[in-house]
Amino acid sequence: MAETYPINIWINEERLEKLQQAGLADMAQEAFAGLKKLPVPTNEQQRDAVLQKFPMAKYDSATTKSIELLPRDAKDRIFDLVVEKKTLDVIDAFLASTI
Amino acid sequence: MTEVNNALSPHGGTLVDRVLGPAEGREKAKQARIKLPLEGSRATEIMSIAHGFFSPVKGFMGHKDVDSVCKDMRLASGYIWGIPIVFDISEGEIKEKGIKEGDTLLFTYQDQPFATLDLEEIFSYDRTLMAEKVYGTTEDKHPGVKRTYAYKDKFLGGDVTIINQPKINPPFDKYWYPPKVLRQKMAETGWERVVAHQTRNVPHTGHEWLMKGAWFASNADAILVSCVVGEKRAGDYIDEAIVLTHDELGKTGYFKEGTHLTSILLWDMRYAGPREAIFHAIVRKNLGCTHHMFGRDHAGVGSYYSPYAAHEIFEQVPDLGIGSVLTLEWWYCPVCGEVTYSGLCGHDKEQQGFSGTVIRSIIQDGVKPPRLIFRPEVFDLVMEAGDKYGFGSPFVTEEYLAKRNPVISVPPMEV
Ligand SMILES: [Zn+2]
Repeated sequence: MAETYPINIWINEERLEKLQQAGLADMAQEAFAGLKKLPVPTNEQQRDAVLQKFPMAKYDSATTKSIELLPRDAKDRIFDLVVEKKTLDVIDAFLASTI
Repeated sequence: MTEVNNALSPHGGTLVDRVLGPAEGREKAKQARIKLPLEGSRATEIMSIAHGFFSPVKGFMGHKDVDSVCKDMRLASGYIWGIPIVFDISEGEIKEKGIKEGDTLLFTYQDQPFATLDLEEIFSYDRTLMAEKVYGTTEDKHPGVKRTYAYKDKFLGGDVTIINQPKINPPFDKYWYPPKVLRQKMAETGWERVVAHQTRNVPHTGHEWLMKGAWFASNADAILVSCVVGEKRAGDYIDEAIVLTHDELGKTGYFKEGTHLTSILLWDMRYAGPREAIFHAIVRKNLGCTHHMFGRDHAGVGSYYSPYAAHEIFEQVPDLGIGSVLTLEWWYCPVCGEVTYSGLCGHDKEQQGFSGTVIRSIIQDGVKPPRLIFRPEVFDLVMEAGDKYGFGSPFVTEEYLAKRNPVISVPPMEV
């Protein structure tokens, strides 16, 4: 499988509850010290498209190899797409939904 | 070159103090024939020079000093120095204002008389050479190089004097300790060994442990948190959040009273890596510190410097009279069940490293990180600072850059 570059959605109680209701709680992974994350994978093209649309975002190549610092409303939309479609394969839909 | 003692504290042996009281200030201002308005980062640089943070530097450097700093990392006098401190100006403005060597210039800031420059020298310097020597690269993607290339074609060299002392605005006023004041405070408190921690970050526990580790390693009485307040980029933490949260670690007992002091340094980061590490060490020595902690990627940017370039440079310079405490990262280890030192924990595979970027990302999601990673008091205060000073965000936005409260205000003065 080609390398993927996750967008980490950080899971608070509210997001965890939504995941549980959708039967997706297993998708959340332990990040550190009990904090959970939902890593939504992107391929190289998707990663570059996300970084281009959101210049504030950063690809953390040193520590976590993930896309960080996406605006909160973008993260919320990605999260909602995951819950709605019950899959982590939502980045194309997300990119199509942003101008 | 004359041999000098680089271990003297303050650097060069004497603390620079070029701030005049109102009466003398007005007299000095009267000598000036030409007025020159300043932009903010110039004014704050003059604050640092005149209050002795940059001792023995007394003003903007002349050609000899600039050349010597660039090529030999020393002032012309022989003292080690990392970064040129310069005042650039266009040839056109020099002509238009009729500026000549030997003049006294009056700098105004916020439309008020603020400081003078005893102009000794007007000169030019090869900006590409300056960039290459100071930053080790000529790529204008490097922010320090970009800044260097943006310098206008001439430089003014000469001593500066503050003739109208500005007010430091809240919340920064409580953290403004010029070297003279801080040295006195250290003496009164009985602090003989103080280790400096340089920061531009809201502290997570990785930072907290860096400070605690440096305290152990240097057998220090106290830690001086020296927050760099200066030019910001969108997405950075706002200055107010940085300063207040560091202080909060003391107020809430993560550092016991008498072991921890938060202060500010007015300085625009140059991201010069090892050379900036040298500069930071000298400034903190001037503040009275006996040790300085250097971690990974100190004052670096991108991949221009090796992660521990700041560690390596201290082996190449003479004794600077301030001990460098060189440290690796701290990480969270689920096996150890704690934030632990990467130089000791053997669970390389299991460790869960966290970076400042990841923590910012979590906070931006509105999620409260676990207390082992980020103190809840710090989290609450970050959010509060965002509401109070950041127009709703603890991160720098365009709105913050345009409308933030100035750090210093110059009071009205008639001359
Ligand atoms: Zn361990």
